[in-house]
Amino acid sequence: MRWAAIAALALAGTIAPASAQEPMDQTARTQVFAELPYWPGYWVSEYTIGTTIGGAAPALAEARERGDTSFFRNFMSLNGGGASWNEEGRARMAEVRATAQGRKADGWGFPMMMNAATPIVFAITPELVIITNSYGETRHIYTDGRPMPDELDMWPTVYGTSVGRWEGDTLVIETRMVTTPSDFFHGAPPYSEDAVYEERLRLEGDRLVGDYTVTDPARLSEPFHTQVSWLRDEGFDRMIQIDWDNDRTSFDGEFNTIEALAVED
Amino acid sequence: MKKFAIVAAVAGFGLLAPVSQAHHSNAMFDTSREVTMRGMVREFQWTNPHAYIQMVVTGADGREVEWSMEMGAPMYLYARGWRPRTLRPGSIINVRAHPLRSGEPGGVVVDVTDADGKAIGTNQ
Repeated sequence: MRWAAIAALALAGTIAPASAQEPMDQTARTQVFAELPYWPGYWVSEYTIGTTIGGAAPALAEARERGDTSFFRNFMSLNGGGASWNEEGRARMAEVRATAQGRKADGWGFPMMMNAATPIVFAITPELVIITNSYGETRHIYTDGRPMPDELDMWPTVYGTSVGRWEGDTLVIETRMVTTPSDFFHGAPPYSEDAVYEERLRLEGDRLVGDYTVTDPARLSEPFHTQVSWLRDEGFDRMIQIDWDNDRTSFDGEFNTIEALAVED
Repeated sequence: MKKFAIVAAVAGFGLLAPVSQAHHSNAMFDTSREVTMRGMVREFQWTNPHAYIQMVVTGADGREVEWSMEMGAPMYLYARGWRPRTLRPGSIINVRAHPLRSGEPGGVVVDVTDADGKAIGTNQ
C-alpha cells in the first residue's frame, strides 16, 4: 500500500530524485572561504576544563563544595533538566529515570554530544560545517543554501539532519529528524522525533558560545532555551576516534557500579 | 527546597552528573573516602567511555583479588600525558582511589604511582 502510494506520487512527478548541490566555482569558493570564521582547536564545555584522569571536573567539584548548583545551567544543560515538559514529556522523563540505572550506551548522540565529556572540533567550509568528537560522532551542517528536506523525507537518525547559514560570524543551525535522544543515551532528553533544534554559535573572545532553542509541542509546554559555552583545553593535539566499546556501567540495586571484568582471561 | 529536591532526584537518577563529567553519575563512588591499593597491572583498558586499570591486589590473607579502577575517557587521559602503554601488564603500581560504595573491588582513580612511589603520568 505504502509503495503504491509512493509509485503514484512518482508518476505524478511529485517525487524528485535527490541531487547534489551545484559545485561552486573554485575562485569564488576561495573568496567565500576567506570570509568565513575560523574556530580551530579542541573545544570542551566550559565547566569541564581541566578534567582529571579520574574524569572529575575541578570546577564542578569546587561548586559542589560551595553548595552552588548554578553550574547545572551550563554543565550538561542540554539534558533538558530545566525544560518545561508537558504531561507527555513528564511521563517520558519519569520513564527515562526509572530505567537509567546501570543502562549502557553507545555514545552521546545529538544534542548531548555538544555538551558532553569529549572535546569537539569544527571544520568550516563554504558549503559544509562538520562537527565531530572523539567518539566517532559526527554532524554535517549544510550551509550551501539547501532547504531542510521535505517532511516526506522524514528520516530520523541519532544525529538528525542539519542545515545552517551564517549571520555575520554566527552560525545558525536548524536540526530536525532526530530520534528521541533518550532512546540512544540515558542521560539525554526524551524529545519527540518532531522536535526542532535551533543553535546559534559564535566566538566571543576565546569562548565559543551557543544559544539553544528546542521546540517540541509533543513533549514541551513551551520552547526550551539554554546556553552552552566551550573553551580550548590543554593537551589535545589531534582528534583520535575511539569506539565506545567498553561501557561497564552496571547497577547493584542501590547504586550504579562497575561491571565485573568484561575481558577474556 | 522543592527545586533542590528535584535537582537531587535528577542527579541521583544519573540524568545529571554533578561532579564527574563521565557518561554516568559518580554516585557509585564514595568520594569522602580514599584507599591506596598496591598491586600488579593485569590489563590497562584504554577504552571508551572509560579507561580501566585491572590490577591484582594481594590481601593480608594472601588471597589475590582483581580490582577495576575506573578512569576518564582516553582523550582526557591523553591530554593529561597518559598513553595507551603508560601501564604495562606485570608492573607494580600504587593506585589512590575513591572506592565503590558497594564494597566491590573497584573505584575511581585519583592518582597512580610506580612501585617506588614515583608519579606515573600526570593528573593535570
